[in-house]
Amino acid sequence: MTAGSGDAVVEIRGERLLLLPERAALWEGAGTLLVADPHWGKAAAFRAGGIPVPGGTTAEGLARLEGLVERTGARRVVFLGDFLHAREGRSPATLRALAEWRSGRPGLELELVRGNHDRHAGDPPPGLGIRCVDPPRAEPPFVLAHHPGESPAGYVLAGHLHPAVRLVGRGRQRERLPCFWFGAEGGVLPAFGPFTGAALVEPLPGDRVFVVAEQAVVEIGDTG
Amino acid sequence: MSALSHLEDWFASRGWTPFGFQREVWDAYRAGESGLVHAATGTGKTLAAWMGPLLEWLEEYPGATAPAPSKGRGRAAAPPLRVLWITPLRALATDTAHALAEPLEALGIPWTLETRTGDTPERVRARQRARLPTALVTTPESLSLLLSREDAPTLFEELRLVVVDEWHELMGTKRGVQVELALSRLRAWRPALRTWGLSATLGNLEDARDTLLGVGRAGPSRIVRGVEPKQVVIDALIPPRIERFPWAGHLGTQMLPQVAEAIEEGESAIVFTNTRSQTEIWYQALLEARPEWAGLIALHHGSLDRKTRDWVEDGLRAGRLRCVVATSSLDLGVDFSPVDRVLQVGSPKGVARLLQRAGRSGHRPGAASRVTCVPTHALELVEVAAARDGVEAGAMESRLPAERPLDVLVQHVVTAALGGGARPEDLLAEVRSTRAYAGLRDDEWAWVLDFVRHGGQVLGAYPEYSRVVERDGLLRVEDREVARRHRMAIGTIVGDAQVTVQYVRGARLGSVEESFVARLKPGDRFVFAGKPLEFVRVRDMKAWVRRTTTSRGTVPRWMGSRLSLSSELAAALRARLGEAARGIFRGPEMEAVRPILEVQARWSRVPAADELLVERVRTREGHHLFFFPFEGRLVHEGMAALFAYRMSRLRPISFTLSASDYGFELLSPDPAPLEEALAAGLLDPGGLLDDIPASLNATEMARRQFREIARVAGLVFPGYRHAGKTARQLQASSGLFFDVFQRYDPENLLLSQAHREVLERQLESSRLGRAMHRLRSSRVVLTEPERTPPLAFPLLVDRARESVSSETLADRVRRMQIALERAAG
Repeated sequence: MTAGSGDAVVEIRGERLLLLPERAALWEGAGTLLVADPHWGKAAAFRAGGIPVPGGTTAEGLARLEGLVERTGARRVVFLGDFLHAREGRSPATLRALAEWRSGRPGLELELVRGNHDRHAGDPPPGLGIRCVDPPRAEPPFVLAHHPGESPAGYVLAGHLHPAVRLVGRGRQRERLPCFWFGAEGGVLPAFGPFTGAALVEPLPGDRVFVVAEQAVVEIGDTG
Repeated sequence: MSALSHLEDWFASRGWTPFGFQREVWDAYRAGESGLVHAATGTGKTLAAWMGPLLEWLEEYPGATAPAPSKGRGRAAAPPLRVLWITPLRALATDTAHALAEPLEALGIPWTLETRTGDTPERVRARQRARLPTALVTTPESLSLLLSREDAPTLFEELRLVVVDEWHELMGTKRGVQVELALSRLRAWRPALRTWGLSATLGNLEDARDTLLGVGRAGPSRIVRGVEPKQVVIDALIPPRIERFPWAGHLGTQMLPQVAEAIEEGESAIVFTNTRSQTEIWYQALLEARPEWAGLIALHHGSLDRKTRDWVEDGLRAGRLRCVVATSSLDLGVDFSPVDRVLQVGSPKGVARLLQRAGRSGHRPGAASRVTCVPTHALELVEVAAARDGVEAGAMESRLPAERPLDVLVQHVVTAALGGGARPEDLLAEVRSTRAYAGLRDDEWAWVLDFVRHGGQVLGAYPEYSRVVERDGLLRVEDREVARRHRMAIGTIVGDAQVTVQYVRGARLGSVEESFVARLKPGDRFVFAGKPLEFVRVRDMKAWVRRTTTSRGTVPRWMGSRLSLSSELAAALRARLGEAARGIFRGPEMEAVRPILEVQARWSRVPAADELLVERVRTREGHHLFFFPFEGRLVHEGMAALFAYRMSRLRPISFTLSASDYGFELLSPDPAPLEEALAAGLLDPGGLLDDIPASLNATEMARRQFREIARVAGLVFPGYRHAGKTARQLQASSGLFFDVFQRYDPENLLLSQAHREVLERQLESSRLGRAMHRLRSSRVVLTEPERTPPLAFPLLVDRARESVSSETLADRVRRMQIALERAAG
């Protein structure tokens, strides 16, 4: 696939990753879409607890995912952990929506590298046909995981942090935006879920940071 | 002997004679009336409200005088709850109870009298669960908690009177609305209930009364004026030398030697500051200036541990303390008779506020009240002169009543559903009997009911949602977890999440905001409660600290609302500056500030009363435009967003905004199209109805306002961080809620409330509209000074708060860098 106008490209250990403003990454060589922290059913878990979160988050997330698969032509999607948010969020409506999307993409390979939320929430229903594995999952030159870290087996691509950075500019401008963050030994993807927050991270000098600025992924110059 | 003469004997035994206004209130109360008593602090309002119900009891039970049992079997025999006394600060509850207990004892009335606040120990709560005292001193939050008890309707069967103390503090706030709603519930159960409010003098006393008594009231009511205020002296400490450069008049704690001398002039002083941080800073500075005062001076603010505050208040009353540095936490409440000197550090902000603070001094017979202002910036001297003008002209500020905040209503409906349940139609009638919700529309009420029952219309299809259910026509809460969370939320209607500060081995010092603690690393030093501390770690919602020796360290900042100059004081300020523009400098303050105003005139201009000064300055940061309408910070925030929005429509440009009480700054990386915008109607009041909401949308103001709304409406829970695992998974920030609502449920009325609150409360849109009309007829004077003149300087160093941009985010971001959160060292 050729990169869209809002996409950014980063090359890691000889492999091209497309960083997409829909908050996912495409590993071109493997035809694999990497999606971190979707937290499906989070809004439903809140509703079950008596906290009124509007509906529509799952539908929006799935539409975004479907659009990504369509436009990248990915053969496979790997979720980097926290697929379902909580056991209370396994509502029939959420699971039905996931199943409906799945039925429209029967040939797509789906994998989940389990994260901390998955332990409590449980694996996705078998009907979704998602292969669930424990991290780390080595796929040279990468290691796919939920928690960021380092590994002798390869460059670690992970989620979990929901990373964001604060930017400053001339005229005292400030912004806080979700980001892709690549260090020497590993990289972290932004959270995909529509109802997830973000936490500030502190990149080291030499790290590469790409922020998601609405319809575009923009690399930020050296941390100076 | 009649009840009244019995009472008069007691007054006489204290060497007092009842004031006419006190007798008026006693009579009116016994005749079934409600009302509002207004007077300065310490002039006998408490006894005016308290003696009515005592007389009434003595008349009902002529023979029954016995010592008041406080515990044991006698307690159970005491009369059931008759009087509720609501106080805005829990710190005041104990003092109030002391003041109320005295006549009870002297008159031999066998009532029980207790307090119930967030500080009340569990064993007392348990006792009160079994039986409430005859008179209960409590806070709005604790009253709402009582109303959420399953047996709430039976608790108040004998209730005769609700007194709301310091009503001017509550009115117009969400806590005030909480009181209005609670009163509407009580009146529905007890139609003959009387309500009396005690208030400082306000510009709109009738609004204050109507808000307290509700719009549907049946009985007669009145406004009673207390005794005339004492003579008030307002003066200022004049800096011996005013630096013109580089701080352009910034004084910081330079006035320290004079402040210390002023404190020495009296027996006992209160030094008021405008923020808790300033309190900590001035306390440290005074200790350094007068080390021998260790143990004789203290500090007092709302975030200190209650024991510390009690100790300080006792010390003030007993005359043990030479000086207390305080915030508004000492504005209210009982007399501190030994206090004979009051200082105000920093801008007085409002005429009534300065008078209130002056009233804390001079309680000895014949003594005048005096407040001495200490400028932290030379230009504040102009405000002192203006405040004196305001007092002379009797220009008292008003408190605007709140208009139907739906978050508080959502909370109240759940409270009512918990407290014995309610029929929706009855509840609506109650709610509409309050001033705040008299204009509640049917669709809004339907929305609120829908919101608590189904989570709103968009959630209609989600059967897993349940908060309030309807059983046999009654709204009820059946989920125990929902009930528990709701009760937890009632007590946290204001403020951000707080973290207790405690010694690793030992006492609690108070609390700071979580956001401050979040920035600390182990080993960091900070100053709190007047003590230098080293941060150890956070655990269980507590910041554990140990004492250190060096007094150097950061001072916590509390978000709190930054006060804005009142419109009364702003008008007086403009008048004084207008005089200065004509070369007239009346009084010592104006004489002292003259050199700075002359620098301002030389480098730029001192605007005449009919001029709008605009300064255009270029620095390495970019292109600055400073506007000086002198309308107070809140109006300026709105005007800054409006002007930035109007200019950004002319071409793609990004602005950063900051505002002060004097004016506001628009800063941009590229030159702003000012002349073009002026020609296109920058100052035009026409189109405001469209442009103000549009400019508001361009900023983050509504998103920030939503923090409070999300908390009050029960979307976020401050206590959750230390709750169990399930609870943690229900945690989301108010900002995230705001974004999700905006995207998936844009019609949600809590969102419109956030916008309305920003417009009405924060930006005071009616003031903004008036200001725009005033500006239209003023002449724009544009200067291009080479250096930043004195008026603009404070804006230049202010922390930027808002931005408005017409560029795409990606374009802006391409020119930005990652912020290094921790400054070097």
